[in-house]
Amino acid sequence: MDREIRIKAEPIDTERCRFVVSEPLLEGGARRFASAEEAKGSPLAEALFGIAGVTEVVVTGGTVTVTKDNATPWPVTGKQVGGAIRAAFAAGGPLIAEAAAVSSEDDERLYGRVADLFEAEINPAVARHGGTVELIDVQDAMVLLRMGGGCQGCGMADVTLRQGIEVLLKKRVPEIRGLIDVTDHSAGSNPYVTASKK
Amino acid sequence: MADPAPRPRLLLLLPSTTYRATAFVEAAHRLDLDLTVATDHANVFASREPDRLLTIDLAHQERAVREARAFAWQHPVAAVVGVDDDTAVIAAAIAEELGLKANPLAAVRAARDKHRQRVLHAERGVRVPESALHEVSEPPEAVAGDAPYPCVLKPLCLSASRGVIRADTPEQFVAAHAALARILAAPDVAALGTVARRYLVERFVPGPEVALEGLLVGGRLQVLALFDKPDPLDGPTFEETIYVTPSRLPWAVQRAVGECAARAAEALGLVTGPIHAELRVGDGGPWLIEIAARPIGGRCSRVLRFGEGPDAISLEELLLRQAAGLSIETVQREAQPVGVMMLPTPRAGRLLGVNGADAALGVPGVEGIEMTVYPGQRLVPLPAASKYLGFIFARAETPASVEAALRRAHACLTFDIEPE
Repeated sequence: MDREIRIKAEPIDTERCRFVVSEPLLEGGARRFASAEEAKGSPLAEALFGIAGVTEVVVTGGTVTVTKDNATPWPVTGKQVGGAIRAAFAAGGPLIAEAAAVSSEDDERLYGRVADLFEAEINPAVARHGGTVELIDVQDAMVLLRMGGGCQGCGMADVTLRQGIEVLLKKRVPEIRGLIDVTDHSAGSNPYVTASKK
Repeated sequence: MADPAPRPRLLLLLPSTTYRATAFVEAAHRLDLDLTVATDHANVFASREPDRLLTIDLAHQERAVREARAFAWQHPVAAVVGVDDDTAVIAAAIAEELGLKANPLAAVRAARDKHRQRVLHAERGVRVPESALHEVSEPPEAVAGDAPYPCVLKPLCLSASRGVIRADTPEQFVAAHAALARILAAPDVAALGTVARRYLVERFVPGPEVALEGLLVGGRLQVLALFDKPDPLDGPTFEETIYVTPSRLPWAVQRAVGECAARAAEALGLVTGPIHAELRVGDGGPWLIEIAARPIGGRCSRVLRFGEGPDAISLEELLLRQAAGLSIETVQREAQPVGVMMLPTPRAGRLLGVNGADAALGVPGVEGIEMTVYPGQRLVPLPAASKYLGFIFARAETPASVEAALRRAHACLTFDIEPE
C-alpha cells in the first residue's frame, strides 16, 4: 500500500495520548483492549501492546487512544505507536477483529441502558448548547463516546463530561466503570465556548 | 460500623473562557476529590447535578461570595481554588467568608492590582521599576512629557502582554497611548469598570526576562520551575513565545531571582498556594516586573511534572493536593529539560487552516502541538490579542535542545489567514 498515512498525536496527559489517523482503522463502532490477551487476533492492537508500558488501547474509526503506565515521554512512545500503525496498514488485511466477537452480554445490556440515557437525557441537554454526544460502544463496562457540534473543542467539554455526563451515568447505570472520550477536539469548528487570555 | 468520613469538597472556580479546565478537572478526577465546578456560564447539567456544577457570577465578587455561601450552607466546602487572576481574588473572598484556610483577601487583591503591588513592593524594599499611575483620559502629551524613557505603558487589568507597549520617545508614547486606549475601550475590557480606565507608565528594564513558578507553603516559597524566555522581550510589544526550564542563568542569579520572588510574595502578604512571577535580570540583579497569586497561564503547565516515573504528578494535581490538605510527596520538578512555545499570531485576519503540523510533530523532542483557535476564527495580533493561537510542547536532553526543537517545529508551521 503506497498511500501516505498521516498521524497526529494529541497527548492528553503523561498517561494517555490520542492519535488521529488519516485512514480508517475500523469500520464503524470502536474497540477497547485492556490487555495483550484481549488484543489477540487484532494485529494493530497486538502490535501496540508490544510497546513497553502500554496498558490500554481504544480504536475508533479514525483514532487510536493509547494509555501507558511508564514515564517514557510521548515523543518516544508516539514514534513507536506511529510505526505500529503504519506497519499494520502495510501488512494489509483487517487491523482490528470484528467487535461482535468480543462483546459480552453484560456490555450489550449496559449498552442498551446507556443508549436510552443518551437519547432521553444527555443529548437533549447538550443540544441546548448546540452539542451532541454519540455513544460509540460499551466495552468492559467502559463507555466510549464522541462529542460533536458545540461540545467538540469546547473549553468546558471536560467539565460537562466529568461533572455532568459521568455523574449522571454512574447514578443511573452504577455498573458503568468510567468514560473514554475519543473526540478529536482539535477538529472542532464551532465550539460553544473558546478560551481567551485572562 | 461507622460511615466513612465524607471526602473534602473542593470548590473550583473556572471561568468559562479558561484554558485550564481540562487540566484541573482531570487532576481532581485522578485524586478522586469531591469536586464542585463553579463557573460563570450555566452548564447544561447544572440543574441536574447541583452539588457538582454551580453557576456563580464571577464578574461581581460580592454576588459570587453570596452565591458560594448559599451553596456551602447545603454542601460544606473544605477548600476554594481559583485558576487565574480574577478567580484567585474571588476564591480568597469566598474562603474568608467561609472561614477557610487561604491567602488573606487583601494580599490577593494587591497581587491582582499592578499599581498596588508596585507601591507595596517599593515600600518594602523589593526592586521594582519606577512607575506612575495614570487615567487613560489624561492628555497623553502631558503624561509623555514626564515619562522615564525608555518606558512601558501597561494596563492594570489585562494579562499575557495584552496592551503592553514600549515607547522610547514622547511621539512613540502618544502613539502607544492611542493603541492602548483602543484596547481599553473594547467591550470585554471596558466592562471591567474603573480599572480599565487606568494604566501604568513604568521605566523599561533591559535584560533577559524569566518566569518563576512557585508554591507558597506556610509562607515559604518553594520554587517549582524557573523558565528562561530566550526570545528578547524588548518591545514595542511583548509577545510571550518560548519558555524553557531549567534556566540557563548562573546558579547565583537563579537564587537571587528566587529570593526576589519570595520577598515580593511576602511583601504582599501571600502565604499559601501558587505564585507566578515575571522578573528581569538587569544591572545589579533581578527586578520584579509583577507577581500573581495564580499558576502559569494558557496551556503552559502541561510541560510541568513533579516527581519521577509513573508517580509524577501535574502542576494542577500538586495545587489541588495542597488545597485539599492531601500529602505532597515532592515539589521537585522532574530532571528533564522541558519547554513550551506560545505560538505568535502572525497577522490579523480569519484563520483558514494550519499546515505542517505533521512535520512539526516529527521534530525530535517535540511532544505535542495544541491549536487553541479553530478555522474560521478571527485572529488579532498583539498588542490587542486576547487569545493564544496554540502551543508547542517539547522535552529533550538539554535546555538548548528543547529551545531548538521548539524553533524547528514552529518553522514547520504555516498559517492560512484571510485578511479582513
